[in-house]
Formats: sequence, structure tokens, C-alpha cells
Amino acid sequence: MNFLAASIESLGAKVVGWFTVGYGMFAFLVQASLLLLEPATWNRATFDVVVKQVYFTAVQILHVFLGYAMVISWLFITIILSTARDFGLTEFASEMTIRVLVLELLPFLTALFVALRSGSAINTEVALMRVNNELDALAHCKVPPMQFEFLPRLIGGVVSVVTLAGLAGLLAILMGYLAIYGMNAAGFEPYTRTIAKIFDFRIMAGLIVKCALFGLAVTLIPVTAGLETPKKLFMVPVSVLRGMMRVFFAIVAIEVVSLALKYI
Amino acid sequence: MAAVAALPDDVARVAPDLPLRANLSALDNIALIPLYQRHCSAAESVRLAQAMLERLGYADLAPLRDPDMTPAQRFATKLARALILRRPRLVIDHPGAMLYDVPYPAFIRQLAERAEMTGTWEIFDFGWNQALYRA
Repeated sequence: MNFLAASIESLGAKVVGWFTVGYGMFAFLVQASLLLLEPATWNRATFDVVVKQVYFTAVQILHVFLGYAMVISWLFITIILSTARDFGLTEFASEMTIRVLVLELLPFLTALFVALRSGSAINTEVALMRVNNELDALAHCKVPPMQFEFLPRLIGGVVSVVTLAGLAGLLAILMGYLAIYGMNAAGFEPYTRTIAKIFDFRIMAGLIVKCALFGLAVTLIPVTAGLETPKKLFMVPVSVLRGMMRVFFAIVAIEVVSLALKYI
Repeated sequence: MAAVAALPDDVARVAPDLPLRANLSALDNIALIPLYQRHCSAAESVRLAQAMLERLGYADLAPLRDPDMTPAQRFATKLARALILRRPRLVIDHPGAMLYDVPYPAFIRQLAERAEMTGTWEIFDFGWNQALYRA
């Protein structure tokens, strides 16, 4: 009986914990969104920090990221083409390539890439800022941490993931063409027709919203996880671990919901 | 220390519990204030921050980040940040905890002479350090 009560108690505590974390993230997002609407937020200082964030999150890693996207795209295009040939479905190869790579795989991998590189760094930095009282020092100087530290990271994350996924998608489309038709211009017309058929307004809007949600997940969750850190240095790795687990689940959840909405 | 932390908003504090932003240079830590509070341009904020460091005799600190500074340099940067806030009162909270590499009452006196402050500087220190200030 005691075991049952303890199990229910522990489950209840976990559920309450999840709701508390979810509410904290939601409240933070609402606060950030309201701040976005304030004209005072859009000053030169915030804009400079946003530019810096986009540079560190997207521009600095661009060559590595494009190389990685190229290798992954080449591998998947080769697998899809050879499978399509084996089953005599070559005419569907281009559509399959675009759907698998551009709509699903590359945005997902982009989000993982940015989460591992920037999300973990943001989580660690915010946790250290909290533990070292740097946020209190900023508040004492009347420099709003939300405006100076957090909002630029959220905007930078969204802009970076959308842009990087877009660039990777364009690269995959180009590589798909070269793999299917080679340097021959004859395939241009059917290939562009396939692209136009796939990318209707609904799919395009869905792709942009999905990438934006990925961008938000890889920045918002690490920031809130960092802010939850108790003021003890040894809790920083625990905070990063929790934050990155939440980011992973959020990315998977966004992808699953997007697939369900599209195909079920 | 809790009483000092609860001081009103018109007090600029230099305190061990109010560190510099670790990933910003000394100059950027100071330039943040005019940038966000007075909505100065980035160039003007940097100019004001540099002028404040020069006034304290620490112009060469500008590119250094917190972990690369000596305790005295860190204190000077924190002081510059507090001075640029332009608040009527300045409280230096437990200087001994920040200035363990220099004889600190003399060091603070030296900085105060250079800074040409118009407001009041107050030092909150442990009673047993009183003898240091009489020297």
C-alpha cells in the first residue's frame, strides 16, 4: 500500500513538475512576445545583439554546416535513386528526394545541429550568469536582461534555423537535379514542375512555421532551463543536461506533429 | 551585506555580489549603461565608457574581460560602471572582498581623487577594518 502511495505521489510530483516547467516556458514566451511589440525594444543596441547572435549561430558555422548538409543530401539522394531504379519508380525519384530531404530530414538535422552547438552553449551561459549573479548585476544597472540577453537569442535562433534549413534545402534541390539529370538542361522543366507541385502555399507555410518552432525550441528551452538553475555552481551541468533533454523531446515532438498533420 | 543589497534605486553599488558580465570586455560592460539607459548610439556609448576608464587612469583595461583582470583592475571597471550610472550616492560594499591585491583604502582614495565625483562615496566594511582607514 505504501509502495502504491509513494508511486502515485512520485508520478504526481513529476506531472506537476512538467506543468510547472511548461508554464514557465509559456510565461517566458508571452513576456518575450509582448516585449517584441514594444517600440522601445527595437533600439540599436538590441539590433546589434541580434546581428551578433545570428553571426555566432548561423554565419560562423555556415561552411561546416553546408558541407555536412551536402554529404547527408548526397547520401540520401543516392539511396533514394538506387532504390527507385531497383523498383522501377524512377519517375517518382525527384519528388521523393525533395519530400524526404527538403521537407523533413534537413530541417530536423538543422535543428539538432543548432541545438547541439548553440543551444547547449546558451543553456550553460545563462546558468552561469544566474549562478554568478550577473543577471542581478544587470538588473542593478537597469539593463533589462530580457532585452539585452534573452530576446536577441530567441530571434537569432529562429532566424538562424529558418535560414540554415532554407540554404540546406536549396543545396539538396540542386544536388537532386545534378544526381538525376546531370549537367543536362533538359530536365529543368519537369524538375521545376515537380518542385512547384510540392511547394504549394500550405506546404511552404508549414515548412517555415516548423523551422521557426525548431528555432524557438533550441533557444527558448535552454534559456528557461538556465534560468531555473539553483545558485550553486555544481548544478550547471545538471541544468544543461535537463535543458538539452527537453530540447531533444521538443524537436522530436514538433517533427512528429508536423508529419501527422501532413500525412495522416 | 543583505542591508546593503536592499539599498534604494538611487544608489550605485560596487559590490562583490554584482560582478561584471564575464563574456564582455571592460569597455562593453561600461558602455551598456549609456546604450540602454540613455539610448545613446553604440559609438557614443563606447566613447563615454572609454572616457570614464581614462578618468580613472585605467584606459588600457578596455579590451580585457573579467577573468583576465587583476582584482584591482576588476574593481576599477566595476567602479567605472557604477560612476557612469550617474546616481547621487555610490556605495562600495566590502572592498576588502574585492581588493585583496592592493592596500585598499589608499587605492580607493587615489581613484576618488582621479574620478572627480560630485556625489557621495560611502564604504561599507567590517568593523575590524576601521583601523585601515585611519592610516
